[in-house]
Amino acid sequence: MTAPNPPVEPTPPVGQTQPIEQAPPVLQTPTVQARIGQSAQLAQAALVPPPHQRSWRERLFRRRPDTGTRWAIGLERVSKKFGDVVGVEDVSFAVPEGAIVGVIGPSGAGKTTTIRLMTGALRPDVGLVRVLGDDPRRFSRRTREKIGYMPQLFVLYPDLTVRENVEFMAALFGIPPWRRGRRVAEVLDLVDLTQARGRRASALSGGMQRRLELACALVHQPRLLVLDEPTAGIDPLLRKRIWQELDRLSKSGVTVIVTTQYVSEAEYCDSVVLISEGNLVAFATPQDLRKQALGGEVIEVVTSAPFDASALPPIEGVVSVRQQGPNDLLFVATDAGAATPRVNDAIERAGGAVDSSREYRPTFDEVFSVLVTAHAQRGRGEAGQPGPGLMPHQLARPR
Amino acid sequence: MRELLVGPFKSFIRVSAQVRKELVQVRRRPGAFFSLVLGPFLIMAVFGLGYTGVHRPLETVIVVPDDLNLPRDTAFYSTIVGPAVHVREVTTNAGPARDALAANVLDLVLVAPADAAQTFRSGRQARIQIYLNEVDPVATAYADFLASVVSQRVNQEIIKQAVISGQTYAVPATGGQVFQIPPEIVAQPTVAEVINIAPSTPTVVSFAAPAAFALMLQHMAVTLTALSFVRERLSGTMELFRVSPINSLELVLGKYLGLGLVSAVIAIITSLLLVFGLGVPLLGSPWLVAAVIALVVFASLGIGLLISVVADSERQAVQLALLLLLASVFFSGFVLPINEFREGVQYLSYSLPVTHGIRLLQDLMLRGDTTAWWEMTALAAIGLVLLVLTVLALRRTLRSA
Repeated sequence: MTAPNPPVEPTPPVGQTQPIEQAPPVLQTPTVQARIGQSAQLAQAALVPPPHQRSWRERLFRRRPDTGTRWAIGLERVSKKFGDVVGVEDVSFAVPEGAIVGVIGPSGAGKTTTIRLMTGALRPDVGLVRVLGDDPRRFSRRTREKIGYMPQLFVLYPDLTVRENVEFMAALFGIPPWRRGRRVAEVLDLVDLTQARGRRASALSGGMQRRLELACALVHQPRLLVLDEPTAGIDPLLRKRIWQELDRLSKSGVTVIVTTQYVSEAEYCDSVVLISEGNLVAFATPQDLRKQALGGEVIEVVTSAPFDASALPPIEGVVSVRQQGPNDLLFVATDAGAATPRVNDAIERAGGAVDSSREYRPTFDEVFSVLVTAHAQRGRGEAGQPGPGLMPHQLARPR
Repeated sequence: MRELLVGPFKSFIRVSAQVRKELVQVRRRPGAFFSLVLGPFLIMAVFGLGYTGVHRPLETVIVVPDDLNLPRDTAFYSTIVGPAVHVREVTTNAGPARDALAANVLDLVLVAPADAAQTFRSGRQARIQIYLNEVDPVATAYADFLASVVSQRVNQEIIKQAVISGQTYAVPATGGQVFQIPPEIVAQPTVAEVINIAPSTPTVVSFAAPAAFALMLQHMAVTLTALSFVRERLSGTMELFRVSPINSLELVLGKYLGLGLVSAVIAIITSLLLVFGLGVPLLGSPWLVAAVIALVVFASLGIGLLISVVADSERQAVQLALLLLLASVFFSGFVLPINEFREGVQYLSYSLPVTHGIRLLQDLMLRGDTTAWWEMTALAAIGLVLLVLTVLALRRTLRSA
């Protein structure tokens, strides 16, 4: 029941772990470039440390154009194995300063490995990692003062109280006693732990321990926040508040890189790194991830009477159309806003009556499911590309 | 200029945060603290109250054959052999006595020679047979010693009896004079008189106390620290340190100062209890004793921290701490004198802080002075070497993945 529209150009494979110079076409669109800077030059610039930190080899052979963009993190063709097990493989992406980047993927996908490569806890087998211009394995003290890190597991001191733990971390970052009290109170208020400030960390619930770690990561007002699942085990209201705070920090110039189990939280990010089985599946804005998964933007049209989509002529800007039910059609368009009037008009001219039409926004669970499945199929050499042909079978029926 | 001041100031903040954290953690576990304070003292107190230093008399049966003309009275033999041997019975039958010895009911069986007079007359020594059933070499040596004492006293008694029976046993002296000499003097012409010039004559407990104190100081400091970095590594806190501005030297200094303060408090309380509670002499300067204690703690913290950096699990750290304790008991001079070991092993002895601690504390507390000042330098050197090794090992740990 597929409409005879001309098939759209096949969507380029998403998430290919190519070097940044050969980033997938989807990452080279002007929008994406503007927002996440995935062009080869920009990404390479992220990997170049400040002149005083470059080795003689870098100074001699690595001349990069000054793009004017300030980069917080860059990974170039990074691989890390644990014995025979792949942690991450050939991963490349770059994060501009002030962005919120979510690292999302199924359990065991390589999210924490990616984070630990950025903190220097792991050494890449292959590839280059730069964080704030430094090699994480040789962070200068000044660079470390700019980083706030929250590991995935609770690593603070169970014998100390909430307040003592945060004060300890503040002191580790050199905050003097006369400024410490106010700052500690601020972050405890932010994570809603003011009432629990006198309780020992061992007596906190899992969610409260996560909040305590978040407070410790924030207490010294870092320029780069590396958060490994900060919202795990936290109730939705507080999660929302934390994301608001991360957004506020991002607007003030703080770069935030965050892993999360909650796929829906991708919505809060400027861009998303989707990882599966150690491979970079996609790196794009949330909006563009939807496009990658669906092959474009989706318009859902409900007609007042049964309507056969095969009666429709080709419509400008429409990539494909799918008959979901007698009265229900899905159109994949390059631009839903521009295509919707043309779709309505085409249906009217073909004798149909449009009851309603709206842009369909699939949940990120659905989007990621599509992208990860497509990636896995490609890995197994099976047919199936992300895009218009794949989307309708895999997405849930629009509500 | 400002940068020059800010760096050290921030380092001070980081180190003092570590110190405060260690102190708070110890305060939050008062049970552990009191066991560290009271544990050593209680052990010393039980040792002091319970140890008499007197050997139990060996339960002995004397076998005198029928045809031998010797007394059968236990009191007679008790007088001869002295208090170290308790003569339970004098019998003519050796069989049951040996059975009792085999069953560990008796310690010794002395069998008088049946043909003593004939053997003597033929110009040979009669043999007193002394049976024992002992595998402990120390107890065997003690029994050997007692046997020789018994043999000597029996010989004395024989000579004495001979003199008495002769009535006018005379010893010709120069000038042809004849002296009436008491038989016991003939039997035992010399006795030894011991004069101890040491400034104090402590009891066994008082003598052992400084050595035990040094051993406990070392073990306490090692126990306090051996798990510290292991726990932080296993819990993941080390990962935070790796990303934070604190460096390995600041981390180690924080531990040294924090746990050093705790050790100092414990050492002061324990030493006061030893001196004023158990009456262990303190003849030397308290400040010198305090300096020795500080150096022993400094060096021992180094061992504990090095263990905590190199151990890959809490279990391994505990095992290494116990191995160190075992080595210290054997090689420090606590049980066996160091000079009885071969030269190579003596190097091992002198690499242990407790070896120097025992010597210096015994000297300063019991003699009031020491001739082994070089051991203070040795303690400081051991501590410094361990500090450097710990910092380097921790730096490697922080960098390695």
